[in-house]
Amino acid sequence: MGSAGALATTPRTRKRNAGFALWTTRGRGGIVAHGLVLAAVLISLLPYYWMVSSSLKTIPNMFVVPIQWIPDPVNWRSYFLAWNAQDFGRYFLNSFVIAVGITLGNLLLASLAGYSLAKFRYFGRGILFILILSTMMLPLEVTMVPLFLIIKRLDWVNSYQGLIVPFVVDGFGVFLMRQYILAIPKDLIDSARIDGASEFRIYWQIILPLCRPALVALAVFTFREAWDMYIWPLIIISKDSLRTVPLAISLFMSSYGTAWDQLMAIATLGTIPMILLFFFLQRAFIQGVAATGLKE
Amino acid sequence: MTARRRLHIGLSVKQAAFGYAILFPTLAVLAVFRFVPMLQAFVISFTKYDLIHPPQFVGFANFVDLVRDPLFLNSMRVSLTYVVFSVLPVWPLSLALAVLFNRSLLVKNLLRSAVFMPVVMPAVVMAVVWTFMYHQDGVINTVLGWAGVDPVPWLRSSSTALWAVILIGIWRATPYYMVIFLAGLQAIPAQYYEAAEIDGAGRWTSFWYITLPLLRPTTLLVMVMTVIVAMKVFAVPLIMTGGGPADSTRVLPLFIYQTAFEFFDMGRAAAMSMFLFAAVIFFTVAQIRIFTRGED
Repeated sequence: MGSAGALATTPRTRKRNAGFALWTTRGRGGIVAHGLVLAAVLISLLPYYWMVSSSLKTIPNMFVVPIQWIPDPVNWRSYFLAWNAQDFGRYFLNSFVIAVGITLGNLLLASLAGYSLAKFRYFGRGILFILILSTMMLPLEVTMVPLFLIIKRLDWVNSYQGLIVPFVVDGFGVFLMRQYILAIPKDLIDSARIDGASEFRIYWQIILPLCRPALVALAVFTFREAWDMYIWPLIIISKDSLRTVPLAISLFMSSYGTAWDQLMAIATLGTIPMILLFFFLQRAFIQGVAATGLKE
Repeated sequence: MTARRRLHIGLSVKQAAFGYAILFPTLAVLAVFRFVPMLQAFVISFTKYDLIHPPQFVGFANFVDLVRDPLFLNSMRVSLTYVVFSVLPVWPLSLALAVLFNRSLLVKNLLRSAVFMPVVMPAVVMAVVWTFMYHQDGVINTVLGWAGVDPVPWLRSSSTALWAVILIGIWRATPYYMVIFLAGLQAIPAQYYEAAEIDGAGRWTSFWYITLPLLRPTTLLVMVMTVIVAMKVFAVPLIMTGGGPADSTRVLPLFIYQTAFEFFDMGRAAAMSMFLFAAVIFFTVAQIRIFTRGED
């Protein structure tokens, strides 16, 4: 931690801190630092507060002057009305199935591919690794037209597999798993081989358990991306019963645009899975984000 | 050849085969859903194709039409504006937040989680909530009103809509890259700062001569990532404005989507996506070049 340097106070620095600690960005009491961070916190949380508080307001109180910061009276009905206006139970189920499918696929395929690229020697390994990495630079926006044509030919338009299969593995996951597995000592694998363990058993019982932190981070990251997915379902889903939550929210906005209380209620409900994910797996959540900044 | 050596070769062939086998599913998925579409996008861009009649080869006609089409040129300009202005503020802001969080603060973990919350909110929810906040009588105009600013017609005016969208991009991206910078900062050994302090270097001097140079790889990565992500922006402008008013927010990915799936002009859309792809490659290579100059 960088702060370790600040804590190792010599008499000189301690004296300097004594007078100015409150006014400089140094030491525990830095008012400027706390002020700046607090401003960032307010800006980060305002949309959340506004979403939840507006979902609890009555329509006439939505745009009153002066603005209503605390809902009065509290209007819980918006949640029931919104939930019953459309088949949101089904949409949440759809999003859940798709996100779980994509996540499980990434865990399995990326760990297999990462293990292969990290610990096996064979012809063409370097080129294959670069090819896989290069897909990270290939935005879906560039390939969406032909990808749609492929899905159409497979007859996967309006299907779960059309939403899941193209995304069951990507360059980032493979890269992350490879980097993590590189650090596992080769001796561990070799001694298992000497003991007669099969190659698959080594992967399943030695490599995978050791990769647990990377797998959890990848799982959380992938689940979040999958839950967030918008452009692809928009392209291939037209059937009501297959709508995902983001699709349903955006359609709700275009058809019930002025029912702001219900819209904010449904937006709140659509955010809750991500908040739970963040709340319970915060470390892994942040590690996954930090891992996108990994370099070779 | 000794028996022992033959056995060794036999084993390594077996292992190489296993290595290929576990890499294969990933390669297959990426080939079918990334590389083939990429090549097809290239081919389709030379055709006229409306999904009903068979594709017709038209040579460079799509490209020639595009560079003369004011709507396309406008879309390029909008995308460029979005990229430049949504990305430039994110670099110093996310670095500043990372530096603030890399020191001791009261309830640091809680504050950091709070600042991270914009990353947790799903993109579609973000678009819906900010649309509501940008309402003429909404919370943003109210807060601005405290500072004496007249109500701004955010999404209703072609002179402000793009800036409203840019602001959301900054809100979303800043905490994300803060995490990546924070990981980079924590990798810098504290001894460097201690040594600098003994030599009498102040906080700014340390930041300028230790932090920034050692953070160079991270900074480069953040620059490339922010630009690529900004070039792909789609959900927010589609939901908030649909590209309007007066095409002022019709970013390139949105225009590609509309050309393909609202006007069913696949050839033209594929040609547009070639421009997007070229831009992604250009920005990535340019940034790596600029940043690594003088290192070789």
